[in-house]
Amino acid sequence: MTDKTKAEAGETTHFGFETVDKNQKESLVRGVFDSVASRYDMMNDLMSAGIHRLWKRFTIELSAVRPGQTVLDIAGGTGDLAAKFSHLVGDDGRVLLADINDSMLKVGRDRLLDSGAVGNLHMVQCDAQMLPFPDASIDCITIAFGLRNVTDKDMALRSMERILKPGGRLLVLEFSKPVNPVLEKIYDTYSFRILPMMGQLIANDADSYRYLAESIRKHPDQETLLGMMEEAGLVNCEYHNMTGGIVAVHRGIKA
Amino acid sequence: MNTQHDPAVITAVLMAAEGAINRSLELDPASARDLSGLSGTVLAVECWAPAFEVFAVVETEGRLHLTSYYEQSCSVRVRGGLSDFLALTTAEDPAVTLINSDLEIIGNSAPLITLQTIVAKMQPDWEAPLAEVLGDVAGHQLANLLRQIFRWGQTSSQSLRRQLSEFILEEGRLSPPAAELEYFYQEIDTLVLKVDRLESRLKRLVHRLDNQVQ
Repeated sequence: MTDKTKAEAGETTHFGFETVDKNQKESLVRGVFDSVASRYDMMNDLMSAGIHRLWKRFTIELSAVRPGQTVLDIAGGTGDLAAKFSHLVGDDGRVLLADINDSMLKVGRDRLLDSGAVGNLHMVQCDAQMLPFPDASIDCITIAFGLRNVTDKDMALRSMERILKPGGRLLVLEFSKPVNPVLEKIYDTYSFRILPMMGQLIANDADSYRYLAESIRKHPDQETLLGMMEEAGLVNCEYHNMTGGIVAVHRGIKA
Repeated sequence: MNTQHDPAVITAVLMAAEGAINRSLELDPASARDLSGLSGTVLAVECWAPAFEVFAVVETEGRLHLTSYYEQSCSVRVRGGLSDFLALTTAEDPAVTLINSDLEIIGNSAPLITLQTIVAKMQPDWEAPLAEVLGDVAGHQLANLLRQIFRWGQTSSQSLRRQLSEFILEEGRLSPPAAELEYFYQEIDTLVLKVDRLESRLKRLVHRLDNQVQ
């Protein structure tokens, strides 16, 4: 089968700007995150000048999580959102930190243990497309900078909708499309020239950071993602642009 | 919800303010203890101009959490302009300021007054972090110097305000003094009353003349 016929049959997907077989993407993404896991937090701080903390804090505010609730943080990586949720849900609540990548989970687990966030925190290695949780069992799901790496985003959103309790909310924090054309130009220059250079200098891995920049461009824009969430069955969907639309947080409620 | 502004910018401002307040509270355990008595209180501040909304949540450890988004019910909501809020923050008697200002209060005003009193009475021990870094002797010397600069700043600003007020009112005659203005308003009030009385007397005379003609 040629690449073109594979694409027509829906058997291919994007890996950055490359087109790859759907069953290949998972291992390619795993390779990227295995490579960056140990320096992930430091690189996030450097790449965003620390602004990712503001984006995450606003996402936590929008989650309106209360004591006693169950929160699932998908693609939770090094656990910075999970640590905050652990404090918010208290002893009666539960936080599930899920990631498909065991390198990221190990870094997250060590960091959370070191910070004393234990007791109500559980680690799960799983695929966002096939979440291994019962129907209507979670109060709030967050996925921060993770959805763009998922092979079948629609399938993942449907899976999240399935496990949410009625009235539960899904929050997707992800890079998006800048609303100002001038900002978009500056952002493009930064992403494709400066970011891989920083990746090379700090993590000795320009390719992984080039993939991160490319995967952001291939990710659906604000309105498209909003439509996908509605398509997955979520209601009252809305989004908030942050830092001129470089990042957007989408929120949907389970009916 | 602050829909007009970039949430990242608002969050940055709130994070900075929250950090500064909580650091000050750490340096003033008495205020932190008083504040912990209000734990669970949520104060909503709704400003019209510039338009923004901030929620202050008092946490159990006597710390403040500032947020731009809060879904649950608030203990008290205060609406008003920025100048009204600034006047309240610096007021010596918050209750009087609340009554006399254009601030609109929804809910229980008692925690708001308590909170303002705690903030007004705060006396952070700035010497402690300096002594931690520089040692007791150098820390104390630097703290003394900073205290003197702060006191000089306070005295200078008070003096400048007084002198500016004197220049505007007395020397430049750019604005009338409050007492003069008050007297002028009283005169106007008296004149209005006199005119009213004259008007009714004239009406009475006209009415009487009309009756005589008939």
